[in-house]
Amino acid sequence: MKGKCYIQGLAAITPQHTFEGNLFSQPLVSTGANVFAVTEPDYKTFIPANSLRRISRLLKMGLTTALKCMQDSGLSVPDAIVTGTGKGSLQDTERFLKDIRQYEERALNPTPFIQSTYNAVNGMIAVQQQVTTYNNTFVHRGFSFESALLDSMLLLEEGASHTLTGAFDEISAEHFYIKSRIGHWKKEMVNSAALYDHLTPGTISGEGAVFFTLTAAPTTQSYARVAGLKMLYKPSLTALTTGLATFLSQHGLSAKDIDLVITGRNGDNNFEHYYRQLDLGLPQVSQLPFKHLCGEYETAGAFALWLGAHMLKAQQVPQQWFPMVSQFPATLNRILIYNHFFGDQHTFILLERTAAPAV
Amino acid sequence: MEDLKQKLKVQIIEALNLQDTKPEDIDDNAPLFGEGLGLDSIDSLELMVLLERHYQIKVEDPREGRKILQSVQSMAEFIQSKQPA
Repeated sequence: MKGKCYIQGLAAITPQHTFEGNLFSQPLVSTGANVFAVTEPDYKTFIPANSLRRISRLLKMGLTTALKCMQDSGLSVPDAIVTGTGKGSLQDTERFLKDIRQYEERALNPTPFIQSTYNAVNGMIAVQQQVTTYNNTFVHRGFSFESALLDSMLLLEEGASHTLTGAFDEISAEHFYIKSRIGHWKKEMVNSAALYDHLTPGTISGEGAVFFTLTAAPTTQSYARVAGLKMLYKPSLTALTTGLATFLSQHGLSAKDIDLVITGRNGDNNFEHYYRQLDLGLPQVSQLPFKHLCGEYETAGAFALWLGAHMLKAQQVPQQWFPMVSQFPATLNRILIYNHFFGDQHTFILLERTAAPAV
Repeated sequence: MEDLKQKLKVQIIEALNLQDTKPEDIDDNAPLFGEGLGLDSIDSLELMVLLERHYQIKVEDPREGRKILQSVQSMAEFIQSKQPA
């Protein structure tokens, strides 16, 4: 997918201090617990107290990030609200399931059920902002956010002026345990800042909420242009290499035109071969891994897009977040994001500086 | 009756997650909806669930529910009327 899609505003609640302040001066936050929880802001300034008492953690994260994103872009009524989530509100889902068991399917509280539905965040944004336009939530595991992004790009192509596009996922102790049984997480405790030094089975778990205001036309405020998106499902290594080459050539680019690659490397030796294959296709191109900043989860790709957009606009890298990287590119015109979710859903996103010189 | 009302207030605060509200802040006769605690229709469903979970009372008729959930006093009187003598 190629498109006229510009990032006009963004916001993120993540394990790093990303919600407020200048990200280029925020210290690196790390964890040694293999579970990377978000740094939560004070929600009271965004959500009325009477609503706040009822809504669960992920809904607070999602709604607050969406509102902050709209503030950042100066937009209050988007033409569409499009989101992706891998799991929705786990806290509500677990509470509802436990209640079914405890109360033998009787006397069930409606609130956890309502909020456990995947589109609950979108509904709350629409109600709070009085938006009655297109509203859609994609739940496609590692393609959840990317499907929302693709849908948004198509809407912009079809004439929408702007979309509010985002992703949100949380981790719970119960879910962490379940996924540990199928080998998602490392057995040994690892400090997140040294994640890539531990190339062993599994990775560290994460969570976050990230929103973007996307527009069909750029402004002087735009962060970056989402120039292209490609999704590959369970590709072979050959298909991955071909997919990358095709993706770049569709945009009239070759490896030398990419200034930086943001990769989803996560220290999991079960899937490291995909990243090594990428290295072969992009020799000499600087790379930044990002999973030591947010952990692994279905919609972590949204974090990479948020990071890339900030770097393109500011023309700098938050170097304090990357102690494992020794050299950074001097200028940033094009960033390629490559991420995959446990080897199944693979994504390429091409990000360009709004005023990038033609190739 | 006083013990029951006190217990109900604690249960309401917990069920509805009324942060910054203490049992002594809730007047026995103050309306629970609109004014008073300012509860809404979803809260009314949660209070119905509270009656079923804690007192094994199922309110079938919504019109009856409206009267029962007027205040802590009306809820306590209803619960007491359903308990065996």
